[in-house]
Amino acid sequence: MFDFRAKLGRELLINDGGMGSLLQARGLKGGELPERWNITHPDDIIAVHTAYLEAGADMITTNTFGANALKYPDPDELRAVVRRGVELAAEARDRAGRSPVSSGADEAGCPSSDSSSDLSSGRSSRRPAFVGLDIGPTGKLLAPMGDLPFERAVELFSEVVRIGAEAGADYVIIETMSDAYEAKAAALAAKESCSLPVIVTVTFDGRGKLLTGGSVDSVTATLEGLKVDALGVNCGLGPVQLLPIVKRLTEIASVPVVVNPNAGLPRYENGATVYDVGPEEFAKAMLDIAALPVQVMGGCCGTTPDHIRALADAVRPLPFIPASEKQRTVVSSFSRAVELGRRTVIIGERINPTGKKAFKQALRDRNIDYILNEGLAQESAGADILDVNVGLPEIDEPAMMAEVVDRLQSVTPLPLQIDTSDPAALERALRLYNGKAMVNSVNGTRESIEKVMPVVARYGGVLVGLCLDESGIPDTAEGRVAVALKIYAAAEEYGIPAKDIIIDALALTVSSDGRSALTTLETLGQLKDGSRNGLTILGVSNISFGLPHRELVNAAFLGMAMERGLSAAIMNPLNPEMMNAYRSSLALLAMDENCMDYIAAYAGVPAAASPSVQASPRAAGSSAGAASSGAASSAAASSGAASSGAADAAVFSDKASPEELSSALRESVRRGLSDKAARITAQALASFDPLDLINAALIPALDEVGRGFEQGTVFLPQLLLSADAAKAAFEKIKEGMAGSASEPKGRIILATVKGDIHDIGKNIVKVMLENYSYEVIDLGKDVPPEVIADTAVRENIRLVGLSALMTTTVVSMEDTIKLLRERKPDTLVVVGGAVMTEEYAAAIGADYYAADAMATVRYADKVFGGE
Amino acid sequence: MSMDRSFGSGPSSEQPAAALPEAGLREPAAAQPETGTREPAAAQPDLPASLYREICRYLGYRGITPDDEIRERIGRNFRALRDAAGKRSVFRAFPVSFPAEGTIRIGSPADAGFEVRSRDLYRNLRGCSEVILLAVTIGPGPDLLVRRAEVGDLPGAAILQAAGAAMAEEYCDEVNRSLEEQARGENRFLRPRYSPGYGDFSLEFQKDFSRLLDMPRTIGVSLTDSLLMVPSKSITAVIGVSDTPPECAARGCDTCGASGSCPYRAT
Repeated sequence: MFDFRAKLGRELLINDGGMGSLLQARGLKGGELPERWNITHPDDIIAVHTAYLEAGADMITTNTFGANALKYPDPDELRAVVRRGVELAAEARDRAGRSPVSSGADEAGCPSSDSSSDLSSGRSSRRPAFVGLDIGPTGKLLAPMGDLPFERAVELFSEVVRIGAEAGADYVIIETMSDAYEAKAAALAAKESCSLPVIVTVTFDGRGKLLTGGSVDSVTATLEGLKVDALGVNCGLGPVQLLPIVKRLTEIASVPVVVNPNAGLPRYENGATVYDVGPEEFAKAMLDIAALPVQVMGGCCGTTPDHIRALADAVRPLPFIPASEKQRTVVSSFSRAVELGRRTVIIGERINPTGKKAFKQALRDRNIDYILNEGLAQESAGADILDVNVGLPEIDEPAMMAEVVDRLQSVTPLPLQIDTSDPAALERALRLYNGKAMVNSVNGTRESIEKVMPVVARYGGVLVGLCLDESGIPDTAEGRVAVALKIYAAAEEYGIPAKDIIIDALALTVSSDGRSALTTLETLGQLKDGSRNGLTILGVSNISFGLPHRELVNAAFLGMAMERGLSAAIMNPLNPEMMNAYRSSLALLAMDENCMDYIAAYAGVPAAASPSVQASPRAAGSSAGAASSGAASSAAASSGAASSGAADAAVFSDKASPEELSSALRESVRRGLSDKAARITAQALASFDPLDLINAALIPALDEVGRGFEQGTVFLPQLLLSADAAKAAFEKIKEGMAGSASEPKGRIILATVKGDIHDIGKNIVKVMLENYSYEVIDLGKDVPPEVIADTAVRENIRLVGLSALMTTTVVSMEDTIKLLRERKPDTLVVVGGAVMTEEYAAAIGADYYAADAMATVRYADKVFGGE
Repeated sequence: MSMDRSFGSGPSSEQPAAALPEAGLREPAAAQPETGTREPAAAQPDLPASLYREICRYLGYRGITPDDEIRERIGRNFRALRDAAGKRSVFRAFPVSFPAEGTIRIGSPADAGFEVRSRDLYRNLRGCSEVILLAVTIGPGPDLLVRRAEVGDLPGAAILQAAGAAMAEEYCDEVNRSLEEQARGENRFLRPRYSPGYGDFSLEFQKDFSRLLDMPRTIGVSLTDSLLMVPSKSITAVIGVSDTPPECAARGCDTCGASGSCPYRAT
């Protein structure tokens, strides 16, 4: 049977144009769902398809743009509307004599010889035409921006694809996508629900961005990773405005490119929307686009059969240029693309529990904010990509990985590197990842290859390959390169292109094998040899395990590896020594034009500012000097705030009295100065008992600010700043109290109820409660009653705080309280939120109405203090 | 092929509105005798005073000016917000009729229109022959900034929320003003704008707004299951058009049913 794939990308294809205004001219009402006309006005639909076929279209798209279960909740109606949409298009195609069989095409899809003259003269009368199942956006934004869960979106699209494929569509065209995440959901659905070719076109604004931030580069990377058969743009702009965008697209895309512009920009005149670009002007502008080159062209809003006819006449005579392989290695997030193989990129390593007590605890406590903060800090410090590793034996790693990736990708534009050896965690992360990720890692063992490569092939990704296999880690460069070649070969088997493989040459510690660094460097060099030009990556810090002042060795090694062409370095961007080495090496290796970045980073820094580690003098008698300089430098390295610390240290000399310190701490909390509060606390811990510090300085300061807030002399931002400062002080105290973790005064659940996504108020209450030594179990927002009740029962919680901003969600609150009464009658419920009042609170059965965060704290004190 | 719909009765939705003098629908709050800090000086060089006052009002400052630290943060966050904002608007005129007291019918027979039962909206629109349905947004950028701030900078998040709300209202005012100018040119008058969710004008009608203005496609705004708009800094409103000037029309806080203890009430 004939296959659209044989044509797509091999010869120029003409798409049809807009349908909406044509249907409106035939009586479709504004605000009416057009897909219903497949049932009520089939002749009109066939007429429109026929007009486009006669105008020269090779591809006609079904009248199913808005057909999905959200807009058509009755499954029978949805099925009917989609089926008929495909059938009507096929019928129009067959009646016009354009079915692949009747058009005289042979098995391979080549037109029979007596129609070749038709082709060259531009007449389409015998060219085969294809029916595309048209899929538009659902109309709802995907979570976390909106509330449509990713998997639900995939389901919605899958349903339509199954119906359309069964009805006989030749291909699937997913169009007018303004969100890369939704485009991914649709593309996945299409690939998983049928075996038809899949085309995806997106809608950019004038700046070349999607509504939710995607760029031409990031979207292309994501879609190519999903192995779509063609991609491109439609709607939003006219051909002239689209030209620069399509130009970039053709520079980077390795698959055929599809362009369906509007007939210019819309104008409103006498009650109707008018598109000013007429057929001739449209066709002329499309010539510039055809030259880029692109492989499929048509039109969107405002275009008519006349536009398509003019287009076809103009571009058919041109020589056809297929898309070419661009050999680019790119990872992407929802909005950003990072290309590997040019400048060495930094992969931030800090999201990893190995050797980090606080991080491990955060994982056990499900303290996701802690992890997000590590991510954002690395982003600010200059990481290009973030490694994400949440592997801890006692937790559910797949669930944690899914949650962390989901939340991390909603706050940072950096692409992520999924770092796990758990195949379930890898699958979950890659499936919901909004972009094309890096994957760490696969190795040369059969087992690893079989577990990891199919998943990466399915969702796309750049895969890190470790040079080790069943025989262990080769101790020669040749041995490691041999494993690398095995990995490349396996990748090809599994359908992962060589350009998406990056090899980790393995940095083993020089403290156990003196030649280790040389072997690694040699491996790096060989991987780049000749035509191979392989991409390389290293976990730089591993080279120094077991040595003192590891960062000195790491920094030197980084420079050497970069000189051997290292494509990516997994390192800590918060470490000044490493970043100094990184920037200097970029400048030295001509990867920083005119040393601009280096100069920008260092020109303003005073000469004596950075104390560096001094090697110990050899003479035994100066051990005291060595000790103090070592202590000073390690303090500087760990705090990273040497210069500013020096300025303030003058104010608080070692002679400051306990009273002065306590009063200074109160003051800095009151004024919301977090850094200062932390520093003073660290100093005060030398002369104060931690609990005394809390009771004499921190609590009174918070109380003062809290009272001011209640009385209307202190306002919200101030309250929050003070809370932040108090938190910083508490952190320092916690550090100092290692081992004797103080018991929380009580444990409280907080949640914003189902149907409501406002949570700033709840978060403020959480911060205040934590400052007053309560442990808060934060269930987040839009939380169903069952989850709250389950948690209360499981954790034996005595107090639950519920928040809601909207009158419509007060009902959810009521449901939650009812459920709690049933399942855990001894739990008290406090409610708050802008819409809440005493009356409402009483009406829904709450135990207390808290007007603001301080009131909640006071109530908690009552509940747990037994006052 | 996708649907093309008429989607503007005026300036195209991508056109930035010209900066207009401060003659808005809402009068700036009168300065209260302060119990706090200093004179309400210009907040920051690039943050207009009126917008700054609105941000402070949303933060609960009730006429008092915040101290330097907060003022600097407001300025900084406002700048980030401004750079992240993507302003878009769409509006369309529809005929309106009143089949019964308290009932409003929007749309002609050729539209798939809708009917609203609302005494408050009826009072606002009575006497009009036409209404404009308006929707504006400052885009998803501000929401991303808030999400990031919520992770480790709660004061910043609170400020961004307030500034975002103020910016969206200000943009809505701009668009509203240009519609008023247009109407004046045709010797017609606009009523104060009225949004779903206020008074007894049910939030349910957001669905009709979305459908008739094709909001997901025209300005990239969609609805959650609980009828909240996403991006969140978005505003929909009905604006009545009539041939006679309105008599003493209530506007702003006066039309809201919230009790006098609302912390955000503009005095």
